[in-house]
Amino acid sequence: MSTQAPTGDLMARFGVSAARRRKDRIARGAILAATIVALIPLVLIVYYLLSKGLGAWSSSFFTTDPTGNTFFKSESIGGIKSAILGTVEMVALASAISVPVGVGVAVWLVEYGKSSWFAHTVRFFVDVLTGVPSIVFGLFIYIVLIVGTGSSFAGYKGSLALSLLMLPVVIRSAEVILLLIPAGLRESALALGAPRWKVIFSIVLPTALPGMVTGMLLAVARAAGETAPLLFTAASTKATSFNLSGFMNSLPVQIYGDVTSPTTAVVNRAWGAALTLVVMILLLNLLARLISRRSRLA
Amino acid sequence: MSPESSANERPPARPPAQPAADPATHPTHPSPDGSRGRAHFQAQLRELEEHALGGLDLIVEQLDRVLEALEHQDVELAQMVIADDDRVDGRYLEVHQGILSLLALQAPVAGDLRLVAALLHTIKHIERMGDQCVNIAKMIPLSGHEPPVHGELLEALAKMGAYARSEVVQCKAAFAGRDIGLAEDLVRQDREINRLNREIFRLAIEIGDDPDTREWAMHMTLVARALERVGDNAVDIGEQVAFVVTGLFREFSDSSRPPGAPAGA
Amino acid sequence: MPNLQQTVSPVTEAPPSNDSPAVVTKPGLSVRLEQLRAFYGDAEQVKGIDLEFRANEVTAIIGPSGCGKSTMIRCINRMHEEIPGARAEGRVLLDDTDVYGSGVDVVAVRRAIGMVFQKPNPFPTMSVYDNVAAGLRLSAQRGGDMHAKVEAALRGAGLWSEVEDRLNEPGAGLSGGQQQRLCIARSLAVGPEVILMDEPCSALDPVATLKIEELIDELKSRVTIVIVTHNMQQAARVADRTAFMLDGKLVEVGPTQEIFTKPSDPRTEEYVTGKFG
Repeated sequence: MSTQAPTGDLMARFGVSAARRRKDRIARGAILAATIVALIPLVLIVYYLLSKGLGAWSSSFFTTDPTGNTFFKSESIGGIKSAILGTVEMVALASAISVPVGVGVAVWLVEYGKSSWFAHTVRFFVDVLTGVPSIVFGLFIYIVLIVGTGSSFAGYKGSLALSLLMLPVVIRSAEVILLLIPAGLRESALALGAPRWKVIFSIVLPTALPGMVTGMLLAVARAAGETAPLLFTAASTKATSFNLSGFMNSLPVQIYGDVTSPTTAVVNRAWGAALTLVVMILLLNLLARLISRRSRLA
Repeated sequence: MSPESSANERPPARPPAQPAADPATHPTHPSPDGSRGRAHFQAQLRELEEHALGGLDLIVEQLDRVLEALEHQDVELAQMVIADDDRVDGRYLEVHQGILSLLALQAPVAGDLRLVAALLHTIKHIERMGDQCVNIAKMIPLSGHEPPVHGELLEALAKMGAYARSEVVQCKAAFAGRDIGLAEDLVRQDREINRLNREIFRLAIEIGDDPDTREWAMHMTLVARALERVGDNAVDIGEQVAFVVTGLFREFSDSSRPPGAPAGA
Repeated sequence: MPNLQQTVSPVTEAPPSNDSPAVVTKPGLSVRLEQLRAFYGDAEQVKGIDLEFRANEVTAIIGPSGCGKSTMIRCINRMHEEIPGARAEGRVLLDDTDVYGSGVDVVAVRRAIGMVFQKPNPFPTMSVYDNVAAGLRLSAQRGGDMHAKVEAALRGAGLWSEVEDRLNEPGAGLSGGQQQRLCIARSLAVGPEVILMDEPCSALDPVATLKIEELIDELKSRVTIVIVTHNMQQAARVADRTAFMLDGKLVEVGPTQEIFTKPSDPRTEEYVTGKFG
């Protein structure tokens, strides 16, 4: 930037006054300060996670189940294999439920419901659901499927709670992507003599897919990290299980259980598990970003 | 709220977005004071028409002067008429250029196109009229300084001149006013001119034995012929008037159609 | 006569020969509008139009913005009713069959009456080949030699020579004019008898526009073409007949030559000479 005073008639109009420069500097300083303040907790979290969690990582950390032993120093406390696998299983089932249902609702809203009063109502409730605390979903499944039926905790019930959590996110992001698709695309497909359902399945959905995958991965990332719903539905178990109708371990629950333990090694394991969870979500986000870059719409 | 929810408040604006108006081909919206679009083009067209029809005023001038020169054997006046034909030719070139310009740049259609086409023909007829005046002027010095005077013949010529002048004035009025009736009336006057032409021819044959007189009479028949051509050109301009108005072209002197019959069927 | 009662209309094809590609050689059909009215909710945009589009001719519709010309042609292939709250009344007769008749399948109507839009919109996820094939797949015409049909459609659109060695590249990678011709090929592949064009060249540069106008001239021997255009010079160049619409009504229709040299209605004269727009 030139520090020369503007000269001449035209330059007088084009020159920047000293007062404006001062204001500019003050504003910039303030924004920079705000950014730094906002970054501090983020940096601290990353620092703590890394410093406390990395130490717990080892090959056995990932390959052995927690032994349940938190007291005796002579025995191993185990790793978090069952927790990782449990999270993966339950989130996979939750996705398998919420993604088709959520995309279906979004398709209905955009292609058929449009501006009808019913569609408005549906959208309103979806918005409401996005704000519902995750514990409420857990409680709901607990009341209905555990207390109500008199049966026990189970992995699939945890998945159900998670899918309820994911559903509004999937619907919202799918709807946004579907609305982004230019009307001209649907029009030209209709004008070729395609029935409406074919337009949706052959043209609209494939075009929307990359954008929707992004949204779905973000919903998955959110579900993977929720503790509260699982406390009331899937409970916890130590061993790796592939039986979704039984108790199932999960990373958030494992962390919850470990972090209050008096044994340092167990607490460290909790940090290691937290770091693992964060890394998993980070990887999912990166995947979402990669896919969205290849998408033509998002 | 989804963007589509606004659709119920008013009829959705579904017709595709209109492209920005292309001034060359897309008519402009009328301005707030109600004046019509393409004002510049309309002004140019009017100017061109005025300039072309102004040529007919020049012709009237030329005719008046050459007829006077004929009456008084004024060779100098005749020379002036010949020199001034440059003005008529110049006007022809200007109007021709203007027409090409309008066709290329403004793409006139319908009535405007017919007008431009008619102007092209009309200015050519005007140029011809100018040439006929020059032809008459050229006869004057050839008749010698003391030409024999034959009253009847001169009278007939004067009448022809008057009719020719009247036709030129009338064809201008017909064109400017787009008046088909006035245009068709030119045929009536032109018949008179043709009759007088034949009369003069007869008189010239019977003028006697004197070689000087006979030579003079020959020249006068040529003058009569030139005047008759002026009349024909005026009728042709009248036909252009009918074309501009009706879009159909027909010859007025076509005897298969009685005057006043509707053009085209 | 097209069978509009079924969802699948059989396609007849000339057998492929060496000198000409397999073309769908159904001739075009005439379209007649009888008292056509179109509404957006309660607002009447097209107010009772009687108009005929002759078989194998190009008819242009001209008129100022908002006169209802786009709305009108969207009623012909029943795209107008896709808009929420929109409806049409009256009859649209393809040959002698009313496309609004009871029991008529909308989808079959659109296979007989194709449409090309103002903004070229090839399907973005598909290659050039798949875009044209989509026309066939979407209209459930899977049988037969797909590759030959695609080639025939691309030749019909004057695009084959430019894309024959890039059939697998994305359709959206072509230039604007090529994309529009791709859309035309996609419509042609379905084998319609009528093609409606809604300002097909508005978004294109002059060279691409001229290519499409030449194409229209070639296509009319196979299909009936109705073209809505803002550009009067274009109507003058391509159309056999021109119709002038004003405020939802038909003012005048006639041979293009007459409309542009000697229109009968003074409103037509005013519009074509540019006295209002």
